[in-house]
Amino acid sequence: MRREMCFINMSKESQMRAAINQKLIEMGERERLKELLRAKLIECGWRDQLKALCKEVIKEKGIENVTVEDLVAGVTPKGRALVPDSVKKELLQRIRAFLAQHST
Amino acid sequence: MSPAGCSHVNGFKVDNWKQNLRVIYQCFVWSGSAETRKRKCVVEEGGFVPDALKITFKAKSCMCHMCGAHLNRLHSCLHCVFFGCFSKKHIHEHAKNKRHNLAIDLLYGGIYCFVCQDYIYDKDMEQIAKEEQRKAWKLQGIGEKYSMWEPTKRELELLRHNPKRRKITANCTIGLRGLINLGNTCFMNCIVQALTHTPLLRDFFLSDRHKCEMQSNSCLVCEMSQLFQEFYSGHRSPHIPFRLLHLVWTHARHLAGYEQQDAHEFLIAALDVLHRHCKDDNGKKANNPNHCNCIIDQIFTGGLQSDVTCQVCHGVSTTIDPFWDISLDLPGSSTPFWPLSPGSDGSVVNGDSHPSGATTLTDCLRRFTRPEHLGSSAKIKCSGCHSYQESTKQLTMKRLPIVACFHLKRFEHSAKLRRKITTYVSFPLELDMTPFMASSKESRMNGQYQQPVDSLNNDNKYSLFAVVNHQGTLESGHYTTFIRQHKDQWFKCDDAIITKASIKDVLDSEGYLLFYHKQFLEYE
Repeated sequence: MRREMCFINMSKESQMRAAINQKLIEMGERERLKELLRAKLIECGWRDQLKALCKEVIKEKGIENVTVEDLVAGVTPKGRALVPDSVKKELLQRIRAFLAQHST
Repeated sequence: MSPAGCSHVNGFKVDNWKQNLRVIYQCFVWSGSAETRKRKCVVEEGGFVPDALKITFKAKSCMCHMCGAHLNRLHSCLHCVFFGCFSKKHIHEHAKNKRHNLAIDLLYGGIYCFVCQDYIYDKDMEQIAKEEQRKAWKLQGIGEKYSMWEPTKRELELLRHNPKRRKITANCTIGLRGLINLGNTCFMNCIVQALTHTPLLRDFFLSDRHKCEMQSNSCLVCEMSQLFQEFYSGHRSPHIPFRLLHLVWTHARHLAGYEQQDAHEFLIAALDVLHRHCKDDNGKKANNPNHCNCIIDQIFTGGLQSDVTCQVCHGVSTTIDPFWDISLDLPGSSTPFWPLSPGSDGSVVNGDSHPSGATTLTDCLRRFTRPEHLGSSAKIKCSGCHSYQESTKQLTMKRLPIVACFHLKRFEHSAKLRRKITTYVSFPLELDMTPFMASSKESRMNGQYQQPVDSLNNDNKYSLFAVVNHQGTLESGHYTTFIRQHKDQWFKCDDAIITKASIKDVLDSEGYLLFYHKQFLEYE
């Protein structure tokens, strides 16, 4: 499939997403946000919780057989749910502020 | 992946593979320079690009070549120019059709092997990834990446030789230990309990960060190190702090003897000695007396701004002084708490009088940071108009410490009487210091006590973690401490006896020293 086709099929929302994503990467803000998120998730204990979840999955499957995909499938739903609202809010606010500052 | 590692990676490790991998990291994963970032995201109508090296010259956008997605765990083939998303298995399809076994995750830089069906951990590749990330972050001014602790060779050896592990669970009582009273030494015990449960101080000592260079073995910091070991050893019998007491007597002579002492005085003396001994050990670097980087200063020191305003020319002279604690006046019989300043009626404080009538910690802090008229008997030479004039003085927080100690002045010593003020002062579990900051002064000068506008700003928020209480009279009494363990469990430490306490017990207690810990720490 050619790439131009993809754009035609993209909904308005995903176009917006793509544009925002592009801006974030271009300005290097995405890396900063990633690091902020990483720091916040460590701070609130999310990382430790996820580690524990992973250990459970590994125990269940056996260390010899487990794959990354098993881990991803096993922890993703819970992992998403465990992200505190305050962290999401902060990230959202940062992105909003960034876009407001750079919307020209 | 098999424990032996991935054998398929060798197919990639040919010719100039290291340089190629670096280029991929630079251009598509961590894109340090503005130019490479642009390349990473700009959609370019590209022709056919034969090999991985050319991607720098004719870059394609980072999106799935099958579905156009930007996210969905985008991976790049390591053998040709192809981006595909992992979530919809487009990169898998590519790998299968072209037999290109390796792909790199564009968000985190991990390398996936489609034969092993797992991410692989190749030492050389990881080293390159690490170096490139560090470079990219430096370029963008993000700073050093937080990385997990990795044991050194020596530490690995130690871990092997000491196979016994202690697990911290939600209900475990590690860290709780009673202290024997050595004869009116509860003033010391109560402070030791507060210090050993100060999260950052605990982290410092348990990670063995004190490197002592003192010649004699009279270093109080070393003794604290030892004390933390005792507290977190898991032993249940009370600890006998005789060595600590001896060192305190040696270094703070005014506290020596078997008399009852003031816990606040002990706290300040202890911090002072610890600070001095840290200085000794962190060496000659600390030659600036105003800026010490010792752990005590890092945790306990804040900056207090004092603004003296001349009533004639309104010139302001500002000084900033370091502080370890904040001593707060309480409403007593001889010192009416309100009105705030001469002239105001003081009946209503900005409309939020407390229904219960109880004084709050916030009240005390507001009083502490109010403009105070220095009066006609205390004229100060104004640096603006060079004459002796009446002035007002106002204290605000210039820099907040990580641990804020509030000292409620319950012991009243005036010419006429000496007594203990037992007034109930309510204090919160969570405290926002924003209103008392120098930066918030403007709004307060207009007589407005404002709620912080930005409720998401957590920079100045604190949590209570220890409360020292005094029972008895001015002449004789007893100190106990409530300390917080884990996130919200409270314990009462009464010398050798430790009992579980409820949050209500803590908040209903009288309160003499209140210890708050910053909720969010800045990363340096």
